[in-house]
Amino acid sequence: MTALALSPLATLSRRRFQLTARTPRELLVPLLTPIMFALVIAPSLKTALHTQASYESYVAIGTIGLLIPLNTMFAGLGVIVDREGGAQRELLAAPVPRALIVLGNMLVAVAITGLQVAVLIAIAVARGIHFDATTGGVAWFLAAATLFTVGMYGAAEILANRVPKQEEYIARVPAIAILPWFVAGALFPITALPHVLRWVTKFLPLTHGLALMRYGLLQDGSGLHNIWGMSDSAAMAALSLGVLALFALLLGVVSVRVFSRAALR
Amino acid sequence: MIEVDELRKVYAGSVEAVKGIDFEVAPGEVFGLLGPNGAGKSTTIGMLTTTVRPTSGTARLAGFDVGEQPLLARSVSSVVFQDSVVDRSLSGRRNLDLHARLWKVEAAAAKERIDELVQAVGLGDLVDRPVATYSGGERRRLEIVRSIVSDPRVLFLDEPTVGLDPLIRAELLDLIAELRDRSELTILVTTHYLDEAERLCDRVAIMHAGAIVALDTPERLRAGLGRELLELRVDGDAAAALTSLRSRGIAHETAFTVGSTLTVPLNGHSTSEAIAAIHELGIAGAVSARRPTLDDVYLRLTGGRLAEAA
Repeated sequence: MTALALSPLATLSRRRFQLTARTPRELLVPLLTPIMFALVIAPSLKTALHTQASYESYVAIGTIGLLIPLNTMFAGLGVIVDREGGAQRELLAAPVPRALIVLGNMLVAVAITGLQVAVLIAIAVARGIHFDATTGGVAWFLAAATLFTVGMYGAAEILANRVPKQEEYIARVPAIAILPWFVAGALFPITALPHVLRWVTKFLPLTHGLALMRYGLLQDGSGLHNIWGMSDSAAMAALSLGVLALFALLLGVVSVRVFSRAALR
Repeated sequence: MIEVDELRKVYAGSVEAVKGIDFEVAPGEVFGLLGPNGAGKSTTIGMLTTTVRPTSGTARLAGFDVGEQPLLARSVSSVVFQDSVVDRSLSGRRNLDLHARLWKVEAAAAKERIDELVQAVGLGDLVDRPVATYSGGERRRLEIVRSIVSDPRVLFLDEPTVGLDPLIRAELLDLIAELRDRSELTILVTTHYLDEAERLCDRVAIMHAGAIVALDTPERLRAGLGRELLELRVDGDAAAALTSLRSRGIAHETAFTVGSTLTVPLNGHSTSEAIAAIHELGIAGAVSARRPTLDDVYLRLTGGRLAEAA
């Protein structure tokens, strides 16, 4: 990307950040459910199910798998607000490639999600949850979290450009952001699922994201093994990263196309 | 500065919104597109601002083809939209600054220009407040200022005063007239307020059902209806009254009806002669004589659709 293109991208990202910073609900609401899981539900499950401390670590990563979809879907609402009562048409009339409007929004969604994930991990560490992170592990974690966030923001942007009203958008959020979370290995390994459902979950990007994030921060390759059935953890991690990269690329490209088509009547 | 050649737009469902229109606007000219709702004005502006893809034909802004060179075409133009298009939670200044940055105005020059313009339109005390706290008129002024921060060569004003109260509308017309007087800006304005068009525009094109049905200066368009006309509010069938007046040779092709009102350009007949003919024919109703206005031209050409649209 040339320096010429970066300047408007920075302007568009700055605008989106300013708008987001003025709507605290977009920053706080997505955090509420994962924090409640980390502070209340995970400790309760640990007690009720007589699990070990490692289960809290397991669920701590699982809550990140809820935070990312919730936050990106909330970010997508901004697209509808822009279209219905904001400055979207002014941006469309600007002498900048329209893909940059999507990329500017996406950058801010990724940055804010990163901030929220950091807050969630900080809370977990403060509660005494143990992470076994190495430099390489953190890199796997960051790559997985970033690619999954990009893909999920792409899904949010596509949905926001396909539905006419905020109400319709909100009605679809649970199916996209929450439902997969219950079956993607957030709270329990996917091996506990019925056979058919286990196969289905192997195709969910969230399953790969969670397995890879656990591999990165907990040095736990069991999630990857449950997906791929191989013994080489690094190879399985690379495969899951490839799945996430494909997910991010596909949804990113489609979101730009959908936005451009929706913008141009 | 603006060249439109056989521009056509067909929406899904074979709805032909713009039917191959042609016009040119010279540098520094203020050009009006008049027409009722659904005439194709906003679609035309949409094609010129590259938010509507033309089905066929071409358009150029300052020599840049809107289809082939959309970024360059957008870089020389600016738009004030029909409804408010601003980031309401941001301050007026942030909105202006965003425009300046996207149109690549150098930062120091942008600040200077923003300060000068907001003072000129009386927004100096408001510009650092969130736009959500502005009145409708203040928001409109901000949008007009925004559109010229980048010093565009072509400015599109899409129904700039629609929905505003008369006082604010008058203020905005003064502001637009000032723009016209003090810069070499080429302006294309759409409106269905004909007084606006008469006041602001060097030339107007009247659109009806996607086509341009007349294009000339307001004076020449008015001159087509002669120096004087009669307006009759007919108690009964206005169309039948028109037929009777035509058969007596008082009304010609330029006479028309809108609802119960019959408008008859006199075309050389005297007022007294025409009124006498009306009495002789037994046409009942109120009669008045006056000079033709652009409204009359417009109503004759668009078949009274303005009244339906209002």
